[in-house]
Amino acid sequence: MKSKKTLYWNLCILAMVILSIITFSPLVIPEGKFTPLVFGLPRTLWTGIVVYVFMVLFTYFGTRVHPRSDRTKGETE
Amino acid sequence: MTMTTWLLLFGTFWLLAIAYFSFRSYRKIKTADDYIFAGSSLGVLIGLLTFSATLFSAFTFMGMPDFFRTHGVGSWIFLAISDAAMFFFIIWFGHKLREQGTARGYSGVARLMDKCYDSTSPGLLYFLGIFIFLVPYMAVQIRGIAIFFTAIFPDLMPYWTWITLIVMIIIIYTQIGGLRAIIYSDSLQAIILLLVIWIIGVTCLKNAGGITGLFAKVKQSHPDLLSIPGPQGLLSFQYLLASFWSIIMLPVTQPQITTRLIIMKNEQKMHRMAVSLGVFTFLILIPTIFIGLYGALEYYGIPSNTFLSNVLLFEQTNIIAALAVIGLIAASISTADSQIFALSTEFRSLLKGNEKKVMLYTRLAIVFFAICTLVFSLVSSDQLVILARISFMGTSIMGPMILTGIFSKQIPGKEMIWSTLISLIVFIGSQVGLLPMALFGINIDLLIVIFMIIVTVLSVTLRKRIQKS
Repeated sequence: MKSKKTLYWNLCILAMVILSIITFSPLVIPEGKFTPLVFGLPRTLWTGIVVYVFMVLFTYFGTRVHPRSDRTKGETE
Repeated sequence: MTMTTWLLLFGTFWLLAIAYFSFRSYRKIKTADDYIFAGSSLGVLIGLLTFSATLFSAFTFMGMPDFFRTHGVGSWIFLAISDAAMFFFIIWFGHKLREQGTARGYSGVARLMDKCYDSTSPGLLYFLGIFIFLVPYMAVQIRGIAIFFTAIFPDLMPYWTWITLIVMIIIIYTQIGGLRAIIYSDSLQAIILLLVIWIIGVTCLKNAGGITGLFAKVKQSHPDLLSIPGPQGLLSFQYLLASFWSIIMLPVTQPQITTRLIIMKNEQKMHRMAVSLGVFTFLILIPTIFIGLYGALEYYGIPSNTFLSNVLLFEQTNIIAALAVIGLIAASISTADSQIFALSTEFRSLLKGNEKKVMLYTRLAIVFFAICTLVFSLVSSDQLVILARISFMGTSIMGPMILTGIFSKQIPGKEMIWSTLISLIVFIGSQVGLLPMALFGINIDLLIVIFMIIVTVLSVTLRKRIQKS
């Protein structure tokens, strides 16, 4: 069970690293370009919002699969 | 009712609330730890609100709309994405911090560093670093609000009286109620901030013709606001990357934030707080886009104070304008008091000896740091976001040293302390103009980050190898 949690936790870290790399790539921040627009929002903004939402989702998953969280619950509650 | 009447009404309510929080907290203080760490039993909601209020202050309420107005949508990457990454980082770092805090006894980051490195140097260096970078940040928040109010109420009192008034309120209620009073008032401020910023954001959006209307108009009049690096070229790849690093490091290097991770009741609650922060931050930052870009349409190129006073106050109904004024005072106070208190907590953690004497020195330290803030407020610059970013960047330089201390199983090498000291000197030198801001086309802050990462990796791996062999 713990090794599965560690695997999922490592996958969450990997996902966050990939999202961060995407953020600083021309996919999200192309210099001087704002197309394609989505609902009128410029590219950097809508892709930035999508990345933000995914980062918060992975934060949520991270809290569920953090390898040491079981022990902590037992200790403190 | 006029705005002044609403202001008096809300102002009185807010002052009564602060007084109530202080005396309620005072009654709960039984030990020095109660005063310093508020009983270390925060739940998710209060944890979320106090963390948010400390993180999102006048810097968000005034600075971010102005940043969107001046530099465009890249501001979202600058703050929101960095914050989201930081919330994930809290799960990882918070766990280890709490583990070390339990194992070694937590009284402050400075003391924890001394224990991790088995030396008094890293604690002193950390304290010096946060003193240098937090005082200007606190000062600029208070100064920003004071100058803003002087512009709105020119006949009421001069700006230095506003500054003195704010600092006096901070000193009085932190002396009485300690961290618990700060946390309660933070919570009230966070709620006011969220409410007011959405009302103003929606008003701006309506005036601009909805989301599509707003962006279509910006596209016509100022298309360079819709991409990086923005009209002034500030939000470049390098600038955003260095900011990303400095904001992720906030829980590690800014003691008012580190403290809030330690005093959560348990790790599960800290996890829930991290996720809730993701939602709360989204809700706080979205309306700042509307306010800022609306400002770009109506108030482009004019001074920040004129833009902010018009959008936050004069275009609003009297009740909202009054609530905004109180929200701004509360916002500047909630960030400054947390930082002054955190500085004093760190100072306390370096002291040894009789507990009563240590507490007396801690209380005196609160007054001293508040006076430092007051003096600096009178002489500092007005660039709210820029100075906040310098503060984040400056303290983040100490991040690798702290992380190595907390995560290393062995005592880390002195090279971590020396490289941090050198990096701090270089960064300060570049900020005051003694050293260049860039080398070989790379910004000095980014170079420092790269240097610190290389030193950390080398130090940890080589020491491991030496130990094995």
